[in-house]
Formats: sequence, structure tokens, C-alpha cells
Amino acid sequence: MELKLPAGVVSQVDVARVLRELNALTDFFVGAAARKSGTPMQPPRLTRTLTQLAQDNHFNLLEDSNRKELASVLNEVLGHAPLLHISFASEPSTKALETILVWMRANIHPQTLLQVGLQPNIAAGCVLRTPSKVFDLSMRSYLQKQESYLVELIAGAARG
Amino acid sequence: MNTGGLILVIGSLLSAVAAFVWVAIRLGSTGHQPDKTLATGLQTASDKDVEHIFNDEFREELRNRGRLHFEKVIGESAMFLQQDLRQTTSQLNDYMRGEITRTLQSEFKKYEQSITDAKQLAVDSIEKTITTIEQQREFLQRQLETQYENQKNQIIARFETEMATIINHYVLRAIGNQIDLSDQLDYILAQLEANKKAILEDVKRGT
Repeated sequence: MELKLPAGVVSQVDVARVLRELNALTDFFVGAAARKSGTPMQPPRLTRTLTQLAQDNHFNLLEDSNRKELASVLNEVLGHAPLLHISFASEPSTKALETILVWMRANIHPQTLLQVGLQPNIAAGCVLRTPSKVFDLSMRSYLQKQESYLVELIAGAARG
Repeated sequence: MNTGGLILVIGSLLSAVAAFVWVAIRLGSTGHQPDKTLATGLQTASDKDVEHIFNDEFREELRNRGRLHFEKVIGESAMFLQQDLRQTTSQLNDYMRGEITRTLQSEFKKYEQSITDAKQLAVDSIEKTITTIEQQREFLQRQLETQYENQKNQIIARFETEMATIINHYVLRAIGNQIDLSDQLDYILAQLEANKKAILEDVKRGT
């Protein structure tokens, strides 16, 4: 089964956090089963990401088998999902990152995870690093490619 | 005194002596008869007459006259001698003046020539120096122009090489974090779309 990751799960850290949350929920249910009936207990508060993940993939978090299966799938994702490093000139907004992530999951791999970095010297655009390649999609790279044209323009202006 | 004056003085003295000799001979030769007796008588008579005529007074008179004449001749000669001496002195002065003037003029000419030569030498030397300096100046000027051109070309070449980098660097620094990522999304997505195939292939190969 191919897990459909919500846009809130961006990186391996997010997957690990969801996993920890899922484990905490399992622990709660184990603890609840060990207690006497009628004992007041405070269930852990679930994050929106886990709830959405469960809903999108039709998992019932109240059922132990579903939780175990979800945990198993998440571990699978954590171990095998393609991880791409993407760097921006400044800290990306959640919305912008979400848009890029959606494109990645729609066009590259549905379980693509991103590791976001910062490279202020690229000015604009991004630098994407795949397992064995680096795609420099920054303005720095664009300007460097246009250097000869710039020299041509200035030389033309100097000659009048 | 010149030679003419000297000759004149000597000539005067000789003529006076000759006059005396002539008078003596004439006096000695008068009354000489072919007949010896007569001659002897005449001789005796003449001797008496002579003794009578040429007595001491007459002789003294003649001596005085001769002395006067001699003094006159001596005076004239002295006067001529003095005149000649003055003339000679004057001529000698003129000659000396002329010689000294000529010598001085000659020396001055030589001095002037030396000064002119020295001046010409100095002028030649200065001209040579000026020529050398001019050549050096031209050489230095050419060298400086060459260096200037080389340096200019180097700077231009360096500027052309570095200019684009500098401008890029400036643009990157100037833009910095000023462009919001949301505004770049279209560009980023377009770039991702352009590289989609390569990304996909690399991801598939990696997983």
C-alpha cells in the first residue's frame, strides 16, 4: 500500500514526529488497558498532521492493528522514500514550501520528502540536490550563464 | 740715430780732415822750381815767407778758425744727430707702439679665437647633451606609452573578465533576501518542470 502523505509532512523529521506521536498513542492505549475501568485518563492530543494522515489513508487510530500498520508504513517511508535537499536564499514560507512539495509528490514521487536548507548567496530560486545530482535553479546560476551576454552588452555600450 | 745720420757725421769729419790735408799739400808744393839753385833760393825765400806768413798769430788764427769750423761741424752734426735721434726715438716709439699694438691685436685675436673655440666647444657639448636628453626623453616617452598601453589593456581585459562577476555579485548582494519566495514560485516551478525528467530519473535510480 502506498501511503499518501499530507502536505504537513515535509521532511524525515516530520515523519519521525508522527511516528513518535503514533507510538505515544499506542502507549496510551496499552496503559489504558492496564488500568482499572473507570479510572480517569487524559488521552494524548493528536496533531492535525496525524489526524489528516489517518483520514487520508483510511486508518482508524483507535484500532491497534491500524496503528501498527500505519507505523510500519511510516517506517517504510522513513527508510525508503526519496529524500531531496532543497535550499533557498531565505526561509521559505509554509505555503510556498507546500506548493513545491505538492508539485514534487505529483510529478516526482508521491512520498517525496524534503530537507530544506539555506543558501543566502543564491539570491533567488533554489538549489535542488537529488541522490546523485545537483540542480542549481538559482538566480546566481542564471546570471552566471548570462555573463557573456552581459559583457557583450557593456562592450557594445562602451563602443557607442 | 739712423744709418744716414751716422754717414753724414762721418762724412763731415772726413771732409774737414781732407781740407786740412789739402791745405797742407798746397802749401808744401808752392815755389818748387826746376832749377835747383833757384829752387833752393826760392825755397829759402819761400821758407822765409812761409815763416813770415805762417807765423804764430796766423797759425793761431787758422787754428781758431779750424776749431770754430770744427765746433760748427760738430754742433751741426750734434744737431743732426739729435734730430735723427729724436726722429729715431719717435720712429722707434711708433714702431714699438705698432708692434705692441699688432702683438696685442694678434694676442687678442688668438684670445678671441680661443674664447670662440671654447664657446663653440661648449655649444657643441650642450647641443650633444640636448640631443642625448631628447633621445632619452623620446625613449622614455615611448617606453611609458608602451607601458601605459599594456597596463590599460590589462586593466580592460581584467575589467572585462571580472566585470560580469562583479555585477552578478552586486546584483546578488543587492537583491539578497528582498525577493519573497512566493514571488519566486512560478520561476522555481518552471525550472523544476524544465528539469523534471532528469530529477525523476535520478530519483528512480536512487531509490
